[in-house]
Amino acid sequence: MFHSWRSQSRIAFCAAGLVLAALAIVGCSNLLTTEPAPGERFDQPLAGLSNGELGDFQDGHTQFRKAFTINEGLGPIFNNVSCASCHSGDGRGVAGNTLTRFSRGTDLDYAEGGPQLQDKAVPGAAPERLPSGVDVSYRLPPPVFGVGLIEAITDSAILAGEDAGDANADGISGRANMVVPASYLPSDDPGAGALRVGRFGRKASVSSLIQQVTEAYHQDMGITSTYRPTENVNPAAPAAPGADPASEPEVSEAKISDIAQYMRMLAPPSPGEMSPARERGQTLFAGAHCTGCHTPTMHTGWHEIEALRNRDVQLYSDLLLHDMGDALADNRPDGSADGHEWRTAPLWGLRIAREFLGGALLLLHDGRAHSVDEAVRLHGGEAAAARDAYLAMPVDDKSALVDFVESR
Amino acid sequence: MIRRLSGVLIALTLLSTAAQAADTGTKEAAAKGATAKEAAAQKAVPRSTATSVPIPSASPVAWTAEAAPYHGSRDNITWGGEGELRFGYDVTAGVSDPSWFSVGRVNGFMEAKLSSRLRLRGQASYDHVPDDFTLERAELQATFGRTHEVHAGIFLVPLGRTNLSHDAAAYEFWERSLVATQILGVPNAQLGAGMSGTGSWSHTTPFRYEVDLVTGFDDGVIMDASGGTRIPAGRNNYGDQNGLPAAVARFAIQPGRGEVGVAIQSGPYNQTHIAGGEVDGIRFVHVLAADGIAHAIGLELATEAAAALIDIPPGLEGLYAERQWGASLEATRTLRAPLFHAWRGTSLSGGLRAETVDLDAGLPGDSRTRVAASLNLRPQPTSIVRFGWYYEWKRDRFDNLTPLAGLTLTAASYF
Repeated sequence: MFHSWRSQSRIAFCAAGLVLAALAIVGCSNLLTTEPAPGERFDQPLAGLSNGELGDFQDGHTQFRKAFTINEGLGPIFNNVSCASCHSGDGRGVAGNTLTRFSRGTDLDYAEGGPQLQDKAVPGAAPERLPSGVDVSYRLPPPVFGVGLIEAITDSAILAGEDAGDANADGISGRANMVVPASYLPSDDPGAGALRVGRFGRKASVSSLIQQVTEAYHQDMGITSTYRPTENVNPAAPAAPGADPASEPEVSEAKISDIAQYMRMLAPPSPGEMSPARERGQTLFAGAHCTGCHTPTMHTGWHEIEALRNRDVQLYSDLLLHDMGDALADNRPDGSADGHEWRTAPLWGLRIAREFLGGALLLLHDGRAHSVDEAVRLHGGEAAAARDAYLAMPVDDKSALVDFVESR
Repeated sequence: MIRRLSGVLIALTLLSTAAQAADTGTKEAAAKGATAKEAAAQKAVPRSTATSVPIPSASPVAWTAEAAPYHGSRDNITWGGEGELRFGYDVTAGVSDPSWFSVGRVNGFMEAKLSSRLRLRGQASYDHVPDDFTLERAELQATFGRTHEVHAGIFLVPLGRTNLSHDAAAYEFWERSLVATQILGVPNAQLGAGMSGTGSWSHTTPFRYEVDLVTGFDDGVIMDASGGTRIPAGRNNYGDQNGLPAAVARFAIQPGRGEVGVAIQSGPYNQTHIAGGEVDGIRFVHVLAADGIAHAIGLELATEAAAALIDIPPGLEGLYAERQWGASLEATRTLRAPLFHAWRGTSLSGGLRAETVDLDAGLPGDSRTRVAASLNLRPQPTSIVRFGWYYEWKRDRFDNLTPLAGLTLTAASYF
């Protein structure tokens, strides 16, 4: 009996091996994983990159995912351990990663730990606590794909969309957030200069990807760099000596550059297939004058990376500041943006956003809207007319418009 | 390229086989009477740790250093070693990574019999998992009674069977299980002292025990941890930072040819003072491990599971895991032994393994699940050439899935 069992098990084991071998021959690619189709993820490179650029992309990909340890310099106060820890799959973040920005009016409140609350701390340091009476703004980490294309859009192209005085009387008066770039930026950085059009961040308060990465390292991770060599500390409770054992700067400017270059080369996902229903949604989107801010296409100018140069970009944003009304106001200025103004959020990537957010959809600057419909209903200010036009639509039209937006 | 490297691996193994075959003449007494099946049954016995490890392998047969066929020996000193070469082709989400060819493990060990009751043991290894040299043994052992011993020095802590028995040449897979590498921190040798021994209940069920005080894990558990709590980053080979010991114990029974063991290590891991100033209170890491071996329907089944509780400082809560767990199940069997009638001592075996680790039980993600298969040729019981395949579902902290897979060709041998 026992020998019979042994014999049978040997046969079964051999059979399993043969089946495995057969599977390996027949479906070798499946047994060794399959590559997602182009345009189906947030972390894929732009088409048309050179081999050297693809190598840079890979270097930056690694650095973007590098989780810093405390002994490598994380902290003393910080929010998260890596770039990828905030930007899910290189897309937007989740509620648990929401950053808290605070200020007192136009005062960024450095004396009390502003402008960002660091709620994590290494042993020997204390996390910051939100001071009472400050103006607070919660910020969901934004997607990082497509930012190279945004960088390649010229200042003049963005400024051409301005209508600060609402000369066309459509109720929409977008204006650019003119910012003074950080003094540490290399002179050849695309975002450097005396006064530039801000385009990155929820209030378009940054003009340079290098600056964006440097500040994220410094503020979000507590990682000093050649550009920002001094540790960010909790002014209310200084860290114990040696709590952050790494010497400054904790990363070189080359590492910052690796990540900026990686982000430049991240492709936006492909939009979904157009169908008759979506074409109707597109028409309704334009008819409600959503396109007054969510400009379907902008055009890039010259860029060092050829794949970014002189091409149409379907981001559905004019990259300008708009008054979005009281419901969305954070009453906290950021650069020249006031507490009611927000940069028009690009709509690209919504088609697959849920895949990287556990099936949910988190929209608006703080992720409070869980559907396009909910987000539209929260629009106000300059977008009030477009919102009302949407609300007046029959249910089928609303669905078609939402389906179109969610297919971008 | 693959063909050439596989040729190198096989040639190395055959070379080792030939060299050792020449030595078998002097070891006839040990080999005489051992059938091929018995030799195959002994295939997993790790010689480097066999004499001092309570439960050395899946097989209850314990080789002694003196009887082990491939040790060098002179007077009261015996010695030996093992090595492993690894070639791999990995794919991440359909994109092939650069192929790798590396040393998996190089290990030298010796034992000096100082008296009838006193032994000195040393074992130093380079291991690819910590990617470092580790002093796995530098201990003095004294026997008392008939089956008990006390020991002091650096030794492999009895935190699970794999840590006690992780020689490459004794293993059927290209890599140790995730629970062993990601939670238990194999290889994990620490400085300490303790005692071990064997006994039996009712003269039918033997048991083994080991109880030690060791330096324990250090603050690398969080300070050197990349992406959240990583206990293996706190394994400390030579000492500790907080001056407080950790307790580690293992108890195993061996019913029939099987074995069931439980182990626990508990102790403080963090520094309470930095540069003379108090920065934190004492924080503990507790690791519980369970392992088992059984033989059924011609299969050797082995399992290992672990759970860990980590006391995280308040400033790191939410980012660093407070609970981790993992488990693995392996099934192996000898498919043919000897492989050829004229080539005694050879065997062909296969293995399947399923495993998972959750590196942050407080999150839906930060987990790894893997299946692996291996087809192994042993030209002799103490050498192995493995062809392996694995497929892994790796989830980040957002629960985003990245599939990984690979093919491996590895060879390991005692020498």
